[in-house]
This record gives sequence, C-alpha cells and structure tokens, in this order.
Amino acid sequence: MSLRLNTPATRLWDAAAYLVMGTLSLLCVAPIVWTFLTSIKHEADIISPVLHYIPPSVTWENYAKLWTQSGYPVLVLNSLVVTTLTVAICLLAGTPAAYAVSRTRFRGRRALMLGYLVVRMFPAVLMIVPLFVVMRGLGLLDTRAGLAVAYTSFLLPLFIWMLKGFFDAAPPELEAAARVDGATRGGAMVRIVLPIARNGLLATAVFVGIGAWNEFLFALMLTTSQGSRTWPVGLQLMVGEFQLPWGMLAAGGIISILPVVVLFALVQRAMVTGIAAGAVKG
Amino acid sequence: MSEGRFWALLLLFPSLLVITAVVLYPTATGFLLSVQELRLNRPQLGNDWVGLRHYADMVSDPVFWTSLKNTAVWVTASVIIELFLGLTAALALNRGLPGTRAFAVLILVPMFLPNIVAGHMWALMLDPRLGVVNDILMRLNLIDGYKAWFADPSTAMGAAIAVEAWHSFPFFTLLLLAGLKGIPEDLYKAAAIDGAGALAQLRLITLPQLRTVIAAAVILRVIGLVNSPDLLLVLTNGGPGRSTQVLSLYAFQTAYKDFDFGYAGALSVVMFALLMVFAWAYVALLRVDRD
Repeated sequence: MSLRLNTPATRLWDAAAYLVMGTLSLLCVAPIVWTFLTSIKHEADIISPVLHYIPPSVTWENYAKLWTQSGYPVLVLNSLVVTTLTVAICLLAGTPAAYAVSRTRFRGRRALMLGYLVVRMFPAVLMIVPLFVVMRGLGLLDTRAGLAVAYTSFLLPLFIWMLKGFFDAAPPELEAAARVDGATRGGAMVRIVLPIARNGLLATAVFVGIGAWNEFLFALMLTTSQGSRTWPVGLQLMVGEFQLPWGMLAAGGIISILPVVVLFALVQRAMVTGIAAGAVKG
Repeated sequence: MSEGRFWALLLLFPSLLVITAVVLYPTATGFLLSVQELRLNRPQLGNDWVGLRHYADMVSDPVFWTSLKNTAVWVTASVIIELFLGLTAALALNRGLPGTRAFAVLILVPMFLPNIVAGHMWALMLDPRLGVVNDILMRLNLIDGYKAWFADPSTAMGAAIAVEAWHSFPFFTLLLLAGLKGIPEDLYKAAAIDGAGALAQLRLITLPQLRTVIAAAVILRVIGLVNSPDLLLVLTNGGPGRSTQVLSLYAFQTAYKDFDFGYAGALSVVMFALLMVFAWAYVALLRVDRD
C-alpha cells in the first residue's frame, strides 16, 4: 500500500503494525536467546529452584563437554558429508530438469510438475520402510551416501520447483540471441542462463542444504552406528544417555542452528522470493 | 520425435531416474507391504500376502481411531492458528514501514530451525520445574502453580500445538507476504476513493485476492502436519497415555519399535489417501484451480 495519506487512521494502523511486528519478532527469537543463555550457564544454575534469567556466571563447559564427551564432532562431520552429497545430487540431477520444465514445451509438462508436488504427499514412513529394505540389500543401509540418496526423495522435487521459478524469471531473449550467435542449446544454458540465475541457484542449494542438515526421521531409521549417524539423531539419543542434559542439549542446539541462521541471513532475500514463487505459482 | 522434445527428455532423464529409484519404487513397494506380513522381529511368521487384513485390523484397533481423532485436532488447530498469525504478520510487514526488513528476518527464523532443536528448546522452556514459561505466567498471575504441560493429558495437545504454531506460522507469513505484493495497487486506490476503510479493504480486496495463495499454503502445511511426526516425537512421544498420539507417529512407532512393517505400511497408505481426498475436496470447494 503505497497510498500513504498521513491521516489519523493510517497512523493508527502503522502503530498497530509496529506492535504486531515487535511482539511477533520477540516471540520468534526469545526461545533461541533462552537456549543460548541456558547453554552458557553452569549445571547448578540451570537446575536451581530460583530461575536465573541472566546467567550468574558464564561458562563454556557445556560446549566443551559436548565436543569432547559425546562424539559431537563426528556427528557434525557426518551431517556435513550427507548435506554436501544431497546438494550435489540435487544440483546435478535437478538443474537440467528445472531448466527443461522452464524453457521447453512438451506434452505432459504440467502433469510432471504436478507429479513432483504429489510426491510430497507420500508419508515418510511409507517410503522409509521400503527404502530400509532396499538399502539393506544394496549395502547402503547405515552409510552416509545411502542417507543422502534417501534425502533426495523429498528434496529433489522441492529443488526443481524452486529453481524453475528462478529460471522463469530469467529473460529467454538472451539465450535466443546467444543461439543466433552460434551457441548450442547446452552452451546457452551453461554460459547464459546459469550465470543470470546464479543467486537463485545459490538460494535453492542453501534451502535444500538446510533441509538435509535439519532432517531427523530418515536419519533415525536409516543409520544405526556412529559411522554415519547425523547430529539430530545424536542429539536425540543424548536424552536417553545422560540424565536431563539440558546444558549440553542447549549447546548442541545452538551449534547446530548456527550455520542455518548464518546461511539464511546471507541469502534470505533470494531464498524468500524462491520459496514464495515456487508455492504461489504451483 | 522433435529436437525440442528429445532435448527436454535428455535434461529430465537424471531427475526421473532418481525420483523413480527413491520415490516411486519405494512408495509402490510400500503399497504392496500394506497387504503383506512383514515383521522383522518375528521372521517365523513368514512373508505372506494377507490381502486387506491389516486394513481390517485397523477398523477394530482403538489406537488407530484415537490417532485419527488426534490428527484431526492437531492439524485443524495448528493450521487455523498459523494462518491467523501468518496473515497478521504479513499484513503488518506489507505496510513497508522503516525497519520492516529486520523484523521480517527475525519473524522468518523459526521455520528454518530443525524440528529437533525447536522441540528441545520448548521442552526446556515448558519444563515443570525449570521452565521459564511457568515462571513468567506465575509472575503475571495467570496460573497459580507450576504446570506440567506435557505430563497432563488435558494440556499436552494444546502445548504441542502452541510449539508447532511458533515453528510454522512464518511459513504462512512468507507465502502470504509474496501474495500481498502481487495485489494490484489500483484496487486499493479505487476502494479508498469509494470510502472503504481498512477492514472493508481487507474483507473485499485482500482476502479474495489471496485465495489461491492461502489455498496453496494450507495444502502444503496440512501435508507437512499429517506426514511428519518429528515434533511430537520429541515433545511427547504420543503421551501422556495416548493424548497426543497422531497417525504419523503411530505408523512410525509401528515400524520402528514393533518392526511391524506391514501394518505400518497400511497406516501410511491411509494417511496418503486422506491427504489426497483432502487436497482434492479443498481445491474443488474453493474452485482455486479456475484462477
């Protein structure tokens, strides 16, 4: 609404908007701040009968304990490997597909995009059980590569939907011009369209990466050993292993969401556009 | 075959191969599992075809009916609260006031947090002894004693829905904000000239124009709420009793704890069928496909 008349009614609604935005952002961020404050408290201050809003003394022992005693570095490394593999598969298989549905017209194109959407309705358990059986047969059960392949089942369709939106936004005239100048279809795609859609490609890759990094259910069912277990599973298993390890859980949570929050802040504008475009046009 | 069609197929081939291998094949197998006996922990039962027996068992399984009822409550309440909060936030952000971009980043953060961390954050804050929520509510005189939110069957579902709403209302904010940006400015100008106030503009222009976006957001969110047991797995694991047991969690426990893959498959097929019927009915009722 750019119709900005400075009437009393407008000022009243502006004030209401600030109240809404202020309250909601506080509500959204407060749990994260509280978790951080918990993570730097001594165990005694966490469980003390009188609640301390500000830590009486600051300690990093929860982080140290998490890093040295719970095998967290291995869990984080496994998550990094799985996330990288998932993003790589999506980039390799998804980029050409998104380009095809954005730039070429063929029969069944709409049905294909709809199919990619219906795929999201398949319950995870329905896929995990057969995947478990298949992967056991192939020796991929409890491997990082196997988990990455499983993740593409829900992340590749998302990747294609989102990236298609960014390709749609890149003007096709530039490619046509390049082809007139003698570039092949493949050459036009790699040298003209990909550079234009670079930010979109980055945002889509980050979005898929966050999805893989955060995933819990597939990881819980398809990994069984320390060799391939990811951090969400490790964090959850800590609950049974230690007695109410709130300090360590808080530290683990903060470490694990740090890359997510940083990456989101870096590419948020392109990512927000992409997610919205993918869903709204769908 | 035309050159363009060949080119499209070539580009699509890798993704179709992956989707077939990790989505279509497992899902088809999953449907077949639902009419088979497959218990990993009791191999002596064999691997026979049992027809529709799992589905017949479901009808006489009280846990199934409880889970179905809880799923309805969980999904309906969450979507209504998330849609309301999401729309309110989107309308506020769409006024383009100074500082909006910073507010937008803060409001969108929860949707990118992992279920597992969101769950543990709130489990700590709602803890009966150490929880900060109890402390704040006590100071505000809203409760007269510390409450065990997740241990009391009368509050467990409500508390879980509050956590879910916190985690996912930004998803609605994001989509609705994009939808709001797409509404032509002229509509509001014309309405303002006709003397329509802010509330009338919301009812007569904004909501009808957002219909398609709201429908898309609701369907996507319902899919997520029905299919994903993650948050409830962390917060309550279905308890106390079965007060927060939902279908996705029941299917997961049947597969992961009881290793009864056949019955878990049948439960999943029912969830999928419910989602298909919902999506179809919702789109047909709103006639959004005509837009």
